[in-house]
Amino acid sequence: MLPRFATLLAGLSLTGVAHAAATHYPLTVDNCGMPQTFAHAPERAVTIGQAGTEMLYALGLGEKLAGTSLWFNNVLPEYKALNDQVPRLADNDPSFEAVVGKRPQLVAVQFEWMVGAQGVVATREQFNELKIPTYLLPSDCEGKDNLVGADGTRLQAFQVDSIYKSVSQLAEIFDVQARGEALNTDLKARLDGAKQQLAGKDLSKTSALFWFSSADLDIDPYVAGRQGVADFMLRTLGVRNVVESTEEWPTVGWETLAKANPTWLIIARMDRRRFPADDYQKKLEFLHNDPVTQHMDAVKNNRIIILDADAMQAGIRLFRGLQTLSAAFASGKAAQ
Amino acid sequence: MKRLLPCTALALLALLAALLAGTAIGETTVSPRVVYQVLANHLWQADYPVDPIDAGIIWNYRLTRTLVAAACGAGLATCGVILQALLRNPLAEPYLLGLSAGASTGAVLVGLLGLGSVALSMSGGAFVGAVAAFALVLVLARAAGPSSNNAQVILAGIAGSQLFTALTAFLITKSATAEQARGILFWLLGNLSGVRWPSVWLALPVALCGLVVCLWHRRTLDAFTFGADSAASLGIPVRRSQLLLISCAALVTAVMVSIVGAIGFVGLVIPHALRLLLGPGHSRLLPASALGGALFLIAADMLSRTLIPGQVIPVGVVTALIGAPVFALILVSRRRRA
Repeated sequence: MLPRFATLLAGLSLTGVAHAAATHYPLTVDNCGMPQTFAHAPERAVTIGQAGTEMLYALGLGEKLAGTSLWFNNVLPEYKALNDQVPRLADNDPSFEAVVGKRPQLVAVQFEWMVGAQGVVATREQFNELKIPTYLLPSDCEGKDNLVGADGTRLQAFQVDSIYKSVSQLAEIFDVQARGEALNTDLKARLDGAKQQLAGKDLSKTSALFWFSSADLDIDPYVAGRQGVADFMLRTLGVRNVVESTEEWPTVGWETLAKANPTWLIIARMDRRRFPADDYQKKLEFLHNDPVTQHMDAVKNNRIIILDADAMQAGIRLFRGLQTLSAAFASGKAAQ
Repeated sequence: MKRLLPCTALALLALLAALLAGTAIGETTVSPRVVYQVLANHLWQADYPVDPIDAGIIWNYRLTRTLVAAACGAGLATCGVILQALLRNPLAEPYLLGLSAGASTGAVLVGLLGLGSVALSMSGGAFVGAVAAFALVLVLARAAGPSSNNAQVILAGIAGSQLFTALTAFLITKSATAEQARGILFWLLGNLSGVRWPSVWLALPVALCGLVVCLWHRRTLDAFTFGADSAASLGIPVRRSQLLLISCAALVTAVMVSIVGAIGFVGLVIPHALRLLLGPGHSRLLPASALGGALFLIAADMLSRTLIPGQVIPVGVVTALIGAPVFALILVSRRRRA
């Protein structure tokens, strides 16, 4: 235990960024209304949700991961080699015992409906009884009631600070605070860069629509409402979301969407193939062939942006998504 | 008989008015003038200049949706009449034979196995599932005893429904995420939003064929109302007619379920309501139920699109919300009159 800890510290000082304060244990973190105590930096962690997994990779904590689960897309290419070494407990939600079986000293969770009051995997109390601390990404609990609605209900709009908070809290838990600061600086720079790119451009009449997927191609699609991550991205860049529902991902009819006639259409690209519309090619085909949508301005002028579905989730990928969007809005052309 | 002509004219007029209303009213407002112009452009090449988005919404979204609602309502109500007559059970309805449960299993399988990217859409899966469930129920009913025993058919249907419902639940818990489960649920509760012209060309002929086959057998259905034995004593080939009519109802229902999901209530309540009003004779009950079902579903769909602005409520929820109190009213007022 102790020697490993020493190596970690030595490693950090070698990188030359170890000027941030070291963590004092036992550390208590107030997380989503439930304080979690860590006697030492976790040696083995399990993640439920891709956002948390990639955040830990970005913090250089890959070797601490004993298992991952709940994947939406392929891992970011730069972490592929690392990720191949880590056991994948399940593509979707893992069972409680599969998680516990890894003897984790931390379970990092992306969604409260996985681990929470009505968690699919377990409640947080169940983990705590086994002395396993859980960490929920604050983006999914702050200002959000997960006991209402299928995907929970955001009581207030998504705050990007919740992502910075999860980075610094995870960094503190693992005693790698310098890396946490460096990562947050990088993320903030990306966000500022995306805003800068549009400085001086008049976007007051620009509007957009996020189309995630649809249960069947012609059926009412899942689109981004107000309050969620996708809407945050548009707000940050000064573009209006044509969907006014306060639900995070409501289904809205094409009649309403076509009449709203947004300047830009943003369609999600994902590896998942559960519904035909998961394939962005099928979405494009629909938009160009449907008797109504083919007349929308965005379709006629090919102002369609293809964006990774993960960039619309509360995780580090959202910052790359912001860059993609601002580049497209700035150039006036479609971005791939 | 001399009242046949005015009655038919009135029925067609009501249907036409409902279709027009369903086309004119929707999620967004399009002025009646534009609605007229779009219809005129398509029906008699009037060549009015209209916004292409408005034109598409009226002709390709709303009109198709209303026509399919009419076809589904008529089809489901007709199936309800057949099953209630054949099985002599007031609770008989189109989904009794395991069709909606089978359809959900089929749709979920397509969704979860990722067949979506291949050829079969969720509706295709639903049709295959519905037919498979019906086949299983038929085999089960047959193995359980003589076909003249209605209880066997009903019990087989319940067993089949339970089996496929359990299968669906198993598949969803095993591999669906909350978002998918919601997608499937939304679809299963009945949804007319994915309807376009190809669905119209499927739903309308199927509903009409179903109605014609049943009208052809209206005397048989009348006889069955008094039981299979009385039907046999009247010289009706019991087994053959029963199989033919039940299969007809199952196929019509399977097609409707695959297009719009399981819209409940129409097939159960419309036949009862009209039987209370018109009596049990099938030569009147069948066309009246078809018309009643069509009007009812058009109205329910219109409400589902307009109750919450910017959002569409599953039409199955509306049929039950509106239908149940209306039916209760008919039941009570009927008793008072008697």
